[in-house]
Amino acid sequence: MFHWLEKNPFLFSVGVFIVIAFAGLIEILPNFAEAARPIKGLKPYTVLELAGKEVYKKDNCIACHSQLIRPFKAETDRYGQYSLSGEYAYDRPFLWGSKRTGPDLHRVGNYRTSDWHANHMWDPKSVVPTSIMPAYKHQFKNIADTETAYAEAVTVKRVFNTPYGPEIAPSKEAYEKYYKEKLLPEAKKIAKEMKNKEVEAMVNQGKVPEIVALIAYLNRLK
Amino acid sequence: MNSFIVKGLALAGVLIVATLVVVQQMHIDLTDPINMITFIGAIAIAVLTFGVGAKYMAQMKTDTATGELAEENWDGIGEYKNELPPGWAWSFFGTMVWAVWYFLWGYPLNAYSQIGEWNKEVKEYNAKFEQVHKNASPEVLKEMGESIFLVQCAPCHGETGDGLSGKAQDFTSRFTKEQVLAVIKNGQDQLKYPMGAMPAGMAQGKDAEDIAKYVAGGLKGTAPAAWGTCAGCHGQDGKGNGGTAPDLAGYDLTLVQHVLKHGKEGIIGKMPAFPGRFTPVQEKALASYLATLKQ
Repeated sequence: MFHWLEKNPFLFSVGVFIVIAFAGLIEILPNFAEAARPIKGLKPYTVLELAGKEVYKKDNCIACHSQLIRPFKAETDRYGQYSLSGEYAYDRPFLWGSKRTGPDLHRVGNYRTSDWHANHMWDPKSVVPTSIMPAYKHQFKNIADTETAYAEAVTVKRVFNTPYGPEIAPSKEAYEKYYKEKLLPEAKKIAKEMKNKEVEAMVNQGKVPEIVALIAYLNRLK
Repeated sequence: MNSFIVKGLALAGVLIVATLVVVQQMHIDLTDPINMITFIGAIAIAVLTFGVGAKYMAQMKTDTATGELAEENWDGIGEYKNELPPGWAWSFFGTMVWAVWYFLWGYPLNAYSQIGEWNKEVKEYNAKFEQVHKNASPEVLKEMGESIFLVQCAPCHGETGDGLSGKAQDFTSRFTKEQVLAVIKNGQDQLKYPMGAMPAGMAQGKDAEDIAKYVAGGLKGTAPAAWGTCAGCHGQDGKGNGGTAPDLAGYDLTLVQHVLKHGKEGIIGKMPAFPGRFTPVQEKALASYLATLKQ
């Protein structure tokens, strides 16, 4: 009955391929295409936030904190709205993490403030007595690497078409202009909210400590 | 009996004996039903494997080819016609029909959705939660409020609700003098009460000082002369005129609801809003827990 198929192996292979590929096409591709796009209203990270993200990676926050809220009631009750893949469109790489020694941080910008983070990084037990998180006092002294962060923004703008404006351009002058006009005011605002005189003085001198960049990044997570 | 079958059964016997030895050696308790079932399963596997294997080996040895040859012939090697069993063939056609339905209706219209499951779970749970705690007793509410407070509020307000020495609002009292003075000076329009915005500079100088002292002191003793300005909206007793203006005496449910919904920025700092984070019963629970913190 099917001998004619056996006699046409090429036709048979193509038929099998189409049948199998069809299921994949209609089940996988539409979801992929939709989920990979940035969600509506998502803005790329500012350079200060990118510098903070580097601090987050450097100090290995990901070892204890995740950034992915799964759609389970127990998680959304505690951490807020479940995460969508389009929210990570500008994360290169995303910092989902796989361990929760501490709480999830994907919406931490919604319910913590700059001064809270400042207190918490300086001495976690001063705000959460049972916390086992170590203090990160060096972040108040170390200067954030904003130049590398700027270079990162330039790179993702060029390679992945991340929608930055003309203020992100590959030149030393563009960086210095951005630093003075965009980055420093952003840092000053956070330093003021932190209520830390030393940090504020440093930012006023034109130096951005890591803690300011990190808080800018954490406040952005919402 | 065929020699293959004999050998197969002998091998199976050896395996069964080996299993028995293991059971003996490891002191496995065969009165336990799970152990017993596993043991019977092991014996069945041994018998079936060698029995079936031996049967086909024997068949291969003695069987001769029979049947009708197909037309195809490859260099002298022929093939028997070997029609599909009808049951198998018809099920195969059945899956084709099913696939058309699945591609066009089944999958697109009934696909599993994680978000859909979450929506259902939350909706059902919240409905049940509101149902069970519709008339919750004060003790239950207080306990519920405490556990919510410890998870959601304590990181900023402290586990005892004291505001961690000025880092956040201190729930053991309603106001400090400085807070009241700042509100009188700057006005207040963050909480969106029905009464609307409180204008800046409603009282000045000594009047403002007196009011601040009276409010920070928990509205005790005789009200200062300028209190009438406040009482117009907040009520003579300062309790907020039945929810139209903020309660100055304590943290009543209306105040808790408004602050959670809109957040609040004062001289201490900024509290983020928590819209939709709590169910109505949980807000009630929080308010009743906060009431117990007052000293």
